[in-house]
Amino acid sequence: MADATLTAAAILIFLGVAFGVLRLVLGQTTVDRVAAIDMLTVVSISLIALYAHMAGRSIYLDVALVYGVLSFLAVLAIARYLERGL
Amino acid sequence: MLDLFVYLLCGSILVSGILAVRLDSTLAAAVSGGLASLFAAVCYVLLGAPDVAMTEASIGSGLSVVIFLYAIRRTTQRVP
Repeated sequence: MADATLTAAAILIFLGVAFGVLRLVLGQTTVDRVAAIDMLTVVSISLIALYAHMAGRSIYLDVALVYGVLSFLAVLAIARYLERGL
Repeated sequence: MLDLFVYLLCGSILVSGILAVRLDSTLAAAVSGGLASLFAAVCYVLLGAPDVAMTEASIGSGLSVVIFLYAIRRTTQRVP
């Protein structure tokens, strides 16, 4: 049961990365690409957390934590840039 | 399965780099460069270097995009 759940999570994360990159390539406007980046950030954090569980090393969770704390800064800066505030 | 993820991430780094070179919009190019750095950080974790990944995620993907945007804003013509 647990293995099946982990496999399903891995498949979903794989599809998330693939479709996010596809949106990045096909995106007509810049806002599409920024939304794709934001989604790929969350998917990457979940990939790191999944790998931390599968490898049995909790030190990898710190990387996911730092990345989750810092990742919204780039999207925030892009939003400020688009609103001409930066 | 780990190999499959590493191949996917390396392909995504390639796609992001090519997009960063070839896109017309400067903002989209800077964002694509930051995305290449993000995938590199995840790749470092999968290959067993979490400290390198933490540095890459904070500096490469967070700070460099902000500095790029600041430089673009300061060097383009401001609309009055």
